[in-house]
Amino acid sequence: MANQIYDVIVIGTGAGGGMAIHTLCQAGAKVCALNGSRRLDPSKDFRNHRKPYDMPFRGFGEPEKRRHWIGYMDNEYTEGIWEHDIAFTTAPGTEWTWRRCFAVGGKTNFWGRSSARFAEIDFRAATRDGYDVDWPLSYEEIAPYYSRVERMIGVASTVQNRPSNPDGEYLPPMNFRCIDRILESGSHKVGIPYLPDRIAQLTVPHAGHPSCHYCANCTDGCDVGAFFSTPWFFLPSAEKSGNLELRTNVLAKNILVDENGRAKGVAYVDRNTKQEVEVYGKAVVIAASCIESARIILNSKSRHWPDGIANSSGQAGRNLCDHLYGTTARGYFPQLLGQPSFPDNVSSSTVAWMPRWQNLNNPREEKFIRGYSVYPDGGCSEFPWYFDQIEGFGREYKREIKRRYPTPISFYIQAPTQRSDKNFVDIDPQVKDMYGIPTARLHFEWDPNTLLMWEHGKHGCEQLLRASGAEYLGSAPEPDMPGTSLHETGTLRMGNDPKKFVTNRFGQTHDVPNLYICDASVFPNCTDKTTTISILAFSLRTTEHLIDNLKKMGGKSA
Amino acid sequence: MANQGLDRRTVLEMLAKAAAASQFPGFSRWAFGAEQQHGESSPSRPQQHYTPIYFSQPQYQTIEILTDLIIPADETPGAKEAGVSEFIDFMAAHGENELRQPMRKGLVWLDAASMKTHGSVFARLTREQQVALLKTVGYPSHAAPVDAEGRTFFKLIRRYTTMGYYTSRIGLKELDFPGLRLYTQSPACPHTTDPEHLHLPPPRI
Repeated sequence: MANQIYDVIVIGTGAGGGMAIHTLCQAGAKVCALNGSRRLDPSKDFRNHRKPYDMPFRGFGEPEKRRHWIGYMDNEYTEGIWEHDIAFTTAPGTEWTWRRCFAVGGKTNFWGRSSARFAEIDFRAATRDGYDVDWPLSYEEIAPYYSRVERMIGVASTVQNRPSNPDGEYLPPMNFRCIDRILESGSHKVGIPYLPDRIAQLTVPHAGHPSCHYCANCTDGCDVGAFFSTPWFFLPSAEKSGNLELRTNVLAKNILVDENGRAKGVAYVDRNTKQEVEVYGKAVVIAASCIESARIILNSKSRHWPDGIANSSGQAGRNLCDHLYGTTARGYFPQLLGQPSFPDNVSSSTVAWMPRWQNLNNPREEKFIRGYSVYPDGGCSEFPWYFDQIEGFGREYKREIKRRYPTPISFYIQAPTQRSDKNFVDIDPQVKDMYGIPTARLHFEWDPNTLLMWEHGKHGCEQLLRASGAEYLGSAPEPDMPGTSLHETGTLRMGNDPKKFVTNRFGQTHDVPNLYICDASVFPNCTDKTTTISILAFSLRTTEHLIDNLKKMGGKSA
Repeated sequence: MANQGLDRRTVLEMLAKAAAASQFPGFSRWAFGAEQQHGESSPSRPQQHYTPIYFSQPQYQTIEILTDLIIPADETPGAKEAGVSEFIDFMAAHGENELRQPMRKGLVWLDAASMKTHGSVFARLTREQQVALLKTVGYPSHAAPVDAEGRTFFKLIRRYTTMGYYTSRIGLKELDFPGLRLYTQSPACPHTTDPEHLHLPPPRI
């Protein structure tokens, strides 16, 4: 095994890596996949069917452990799954929260499942409004890959004919709940679209996977695989092919290069032994997610690549973008007070969305450029968090909690940041993680354009609430902390000019032809849409390009 | 399970497996709440005596009275039946810092305020006197600034009472929590002719 040369080494098994592994193994390539943590056992690790009183700490978690949790998904139901040992640092003035799932499948085990395609309006944004750069490909080129991905994973939605949201191939949509019908009525009055989301949750059995049973706890993991994740959808067939060797609990440290500066493998640290190990391949795919992929590139210094492999442009780690998340408005519907409870939360998902409605006809019709989307949330949830809005105690307090149960409503904005010189990742010169690997250091602040979207969103959502007959109770005082969305993009952007971009239009690095990137770090900008389905589509395209090159090269390095 | 939607039996088996895997012994009054029964819940089994782990017996008794005042039994069981004071003691014992020093300080404040107005510690007051005292801190719009300490304490005990109650079997039943059930398709709004929901049947409560 020590001297074996695999066809491809893939770093990461999340959306991008999982798609690469799946595609390569089906094509007959011998793959060695490296994953930072362990394999999950859905029947043991996913506690999504337990009620709060089945948990010792009622789902609130053991206080001592809770102090180390990062974000709401890291909780008593998912204990032991989120990564806590791999550190990162922040530059002075930067706030960044960053929860990472290093288990096999990565964040696809727990993702939000909203799955809108990017559009020509996103790819040609610079042409429209003059800011930054266009993507090096058109929507027409990527559309067939989106279709193939939708067929693989199953996405529920409707045809909506909106300029910023190309329609795809959809399973039947999730049904609108009472809160959706009310908001839909209000939306007509204020001119904000209110439509079924594109949601990768199986409303019917699909491609050998069962339909959703709407237990409501998707973000604690699905123990039947009724929404896409790579362990349920991609890895079993890859392992069955006999072409995959999956090494778990290993942390990729740097890319190894041959005498010509081309990639020849990966050096990783085995987390159990803390020993450094080398593994060799004809090509390497980095799919460790935006920031980690940049970290690997920047840590891969050699005689050929003093600033990190494939970084002759100096752009690796630059251009970091993120989604601003935050509660733009909250309130409650008086018309639902005291009504019977309704299963609003059974999908634990974005049944509906308010897709970008700004700057569609004229790119400069608002004070900001580009646009944002909003997700509504509300109705009967597991815990009555609105109790703080009610005074007093006793029978009246108990009654008011019950009366309000079906009524809460809130909105959550998803607003893209724009490229800025201030936002980037580099390597902290002082700090190494517990395995001796230099850590990533984040430099980040919200840009003015994004904050204008936040203000605009607060205003629009308040109007929609009022038009829907809701009592408006305000918004969050400020957006959530940067990093909350886990939608980082842009650290290894794709573009045609090797002097300005790390990767070409296929996700292949300009400098090193047998080094490919399969995650959101290649996206030139951060749109108003979530990233996973686009990571899948771009990874599929990149991997097929790699397979073509492997074939052309025959037995040689790709 | 491939190629099929899940049938009800499969889901019930999954739910039972999840409950069995929880391995959580529960508390004396929580215990019946953790019994997995599908369909109607059984009446509570005889309650055993709970010995507090963190709080002293007098402190614990006062906490139990407070939880009962905050969420009392009426047409449905209250915080006492749901064992909320056990939850509070358990969380304190496992390191919930705000339930330790702040709670003990608050209990001292409560007894002092009680002695001052009624000449007796809180636990010995009549229910009417207890309610009257809590009202001085339970309504921020009425509370005088001098009640700041009491107000903080009230918010603390009310928050944990609410957390303990609505995560118990009794509390989730009180709300008629609709999750963790089986639905063969995503539930749809039944009010097809009333999108704005302005003509619903009169509220049940």
